[in-house]
Amino acid sequence: MQQLISFFRRFRVTLIFICLQILAISTYVKYLNFPESQYLTSASYLGGKGFALRYSIMKHFELENSNKNLQDENIQLRKQMLKNLYQINRNTFRIADTLFEQQYDFIPCLITNSNSNKLNNYFTLNGGKLQGIERGMGVFSNKGVVGVVHNTSEHYAVVKSVLTQNINIDVLILPIGLYGFLKWNSKDPRRGSITGITNDINIKKGSKVVTRGGSGVFPKGLLIGYVEQLLPVEGKPLWEVVIRFSEDYRRLDRAYVIKNLFIKEQSDLEKTIPNDVKPLKL
Amino acid sequence: MSVVFSGIFRFVLFVFLQVFVFNQVELGLGICLFICPLYVLLLPFEINRFLLMILAFGMGLIIDLFSNTYGLHASSLLLLSYLRKDIFNIFAPRDGYDPLKTPSYFDMGHLWFFSAFGTLLLIHTSWFFLLEAFTFTNIMYTLQKIILSCFFIYLISLLMQILVIRRGRK
Repeated sequence: MQQLISFFRRFRVTLIFICLQILAISTYVKYLNFPESQYLTSASYLGGKGFALRYSIMKHFELENSNKNLQDENIQLRKQMLKNLYQINRNTFRIADTLFEQQYDFIPCLITNSNSNKLNNYFTLNGGKLQGIERGMGVFSNKGVVGVVHNTSEHYAVVKSVLTQNINIDVLILPIGLYGFLKWNSKDPRRGSITGITNDINIKKGSKVVTRGGSGVFPKGLLIGYVEQLLPVEGKPLWEVVIRFSEDYRRLDRAYVIKNLFIKEQSDLEKTIPNDVKPLKL
Repeated sequence: MSVVFSGIFRFVLFVFLQVFVFNQVELGLGICLFICPLYVLLLPFEINRFLLMILAFGMGLIIDLFSNTYGLHASSLLLLSYLRKDIFNIFAPRDGYDPLKTPSYFDMGHLWFFSAFGTLLLIHTSWFFLLEAFTFTNIMYTLQKIILSCFFIYLISLLMQILVIRRGRK
């Protein structure tokens, strides 16, 4: 017994070392065999708290990287969103009626690019040849006329808007039924002018200005604006009628392209007019 | 009392540095930076071996808790603290250790520090990585980890003493 005690006294350090070492290694081996053991891992309460604290500090240093990752992911998700997909069939339909034959077809489009600060402003539509949009078709929004299709590609169309200098849409001033040509002075995106009105006619301010529908580009009666001012043209017996557009072209979003189903018939017929009888453009 | 407080402070400081600073540093090539061996080394010469082992084991357990190593740190620090006295005896100066000095780079000189701490560090990292691998199949990679880690830990321990410990003593 005495010997045993002296043995323990002599090797007590080693014995404790061996005990603790067995404890540590058995913990490790137990983990290797049963990885689900939870004590002595960062999933335990104290470690979890500590790492939550560390994360709350360290997350700020990762912001740039995580923002970039989020942005990449956003792009991926955005690509899948319906509104970024290109719709080919725009739900246009025609009514077959024996008394009324449909003359105009309307193709809904979004205006994807527009500006109003240039000398001549062109808008881009997200519809093109696939939707049957062709050069020369009229474009209008729910508040007024937008312009005429200038060029088309498979998926897009460029519109020569009302805010170009020589748009020359033929218009009608209601209620007296005068007609002239729409111009734009390249300055004010809210105002245009009508030329070709003789100054012997009295025009009331606030008169409605609509499309005449003469060339078959627009149907008759689409709103353009209201008469605001009458300016005399120097040296000519004409008014320059200043109108205020009903549409604000700086905030344009949606538009319809007008497809005139009879346009070929009309233009073919008008080609038969002899050259010297064709109306002069003012 | 102040000895106890400064001891507790140093314990917490080393755990904090190990868990929140050096465990987060990833140098690649399998290098792990352990600064806990430095703590064990820097405890006074005359410290009770039990206390030394308990401290080292406790510190190892706390670090394990935070770094998902399940007793690896505890085991290797325990081994380190157990062998400390024997290693110190091997590299003891001719007339023994002066109890007024601490086993640091400044008190004992570079040669002593290199041999004593280097040996302890080699034992510690070898034990740690071999136990971690638990196999000899990838022995070359394990050896690479041991040697590179030793090198970097040695450098950092030197820097730690120059930057932190000495300034603290002034």
